[in-house]
Amino acid sequence: MISFRGVEKHYGSFHVLKDINLAVHQGEVVVVVGPSGSGKSTLLRCINRLETITSGELTVNEVRVNDKKTDINKLRRDIGMVFQHFNLYPHKKVIENITLAPIKVLGVSKQEAEETALFYLEKVGIRDKAQAYPSQLSGGQQQRVAIARGLAMKPKIMLFDEPTSALDPEMVGEVLDVMKTLAREGMTMVVVTHEMGFAREVADRVVFMDQGRILEEATPAEFFANPREERARAFLSRLIRH
Amino acid sequence: MLDFSILTDNFGTYLTGFGKTAYASVLALAGSFLLGTLLAVFRITPVKPLQWIGTAYVEFIRNIPLLLVVYLFFLGLPSIGVVLSPFACGTLGLTVYTAAFIAEAVRAGILSVPKGQMEAARSSGLSYGATMRLVILPQAVKIVIPPLNNQFINLIKNSSILSVISGFDLMFYADRIASNTYVVFSTYIFAGMFYLLLTLPLSYATGWLERRLARNY
Repeated sequence: MISFRGVEKHYGSFHVLKDINLAVHQGEVVVVVGPSGSGKSTLLRCINRLETITSGELTVNEVRVNDKKTDINKLRRDIGMVFQHFNLYPHKKVIENITLAPIKVLGVSKQEAEETALFYLEKVGIRDKAQAYPSQLSGGQQQRVAIARGLAMKPKIMLFDEPTSALDPEMVGEVLDVMKTLAREGMTMVVVTHEMGFAREVADRVVFMDQGRILEEATPAEFFANPREERARAFLSRLIRH
Repeated sequence: MLDFSILTDNFGTYLTGFGKTAYASVLALAGSFLLGTLLAVFRITPVKPLQWIGTAYVEFIRNIPLLLVVYLFFLGLPSIGVVLSPFACGTLGLTVYTAAFIAEAVRAGILSVPKGQMEAARSSGLSYGATMRLVILPQAVKIVIPPLNNQFINLIKNSSILSVISGFDLMFYADRIASNTYVVFSTYIFAGMFYLLLTLPLSYATGWLERRLARNY
């Protein structure tokens, strides 16, 4: 579904992504880990063209993401995204946050969009907050609304950019639980995270990045038990020590 | 000290001027808000030619006197064969002039909306224009209300420029009353009070709007 072939990205003189080759298949959960600044968020953001690539080829559902002829708005309908800082619309109620894109982008009726929204709010366990404003919710609840907002577009792929990094520790679990359910239901997911427990439990594959390169790609069992790369071993040992 | 007979004797005249001033202000207020918002969006779009237009407009208009902008319509347009009433010229000049300042205020407001809002909306498939209209501008407006209030107050006061080109506004009639009665001080004090009748409720209304919008989130 997602395919990176020899993708490079530069920010001016800074080489952020180096020779990225990665394929994500339908129903797969790929977890991207690595130290800060390794390019993992950038890699994720290239998939829906929040970042553009400098060279190489990146396709989603066989469509070239960076092709001038690609209707990016159409492509993005199929790719949900969840951000570290939730990015809910503060001036809109929870339900309006979720129905905005289905109504305006897909052209769904207001009533149908609201039914869908309530269905997904139920799924993430906060149906009773439909009429609240985002600022009235905890971080964990806001992130679950953000997930419901992504799902309401019925996307084929969900991207998660450090979805639990801005949460208080006791709220991490509720968000991860929603993500685990989603993974079990067969959603294609690319997740950038520091939650190694999640990676171990849910990932089909773990991708380890450092300094803009993919250094290792393995099943979680292999990666956590016996990382091939020295850099990955150092990364994991530091995580365990803290 | 204050000669109240000036007010009572010329009440109708004051009222006529007041009406014109209010009318010009409302027109210019709506016009400059729309034009200013459009220019602000021009200045921050990724489309370079639009940026140039926005920047050129703001830098040119903001840095010349209001009187010159009004003259541009009052004296400039007739030279190309377009003759508008002094009132229309004054109101147009006021609109064009104030829009430059409003553009800057709105642009600052748009830029203060966190980048993640644009990213979230765009990644859900909304176009740039729809994102601006539905997500960014509604949030920017809230931030922009206090500076906009300043600009609108300036606009109402600046509408006295109409008197210079005989636009039959409040100041124009105050001048006329003063020259008829030779009672200068009281005449202009009362004119000032009529201006306050416009500006103070406006400040109050924007303050109310600010509190109301702050309540939701």
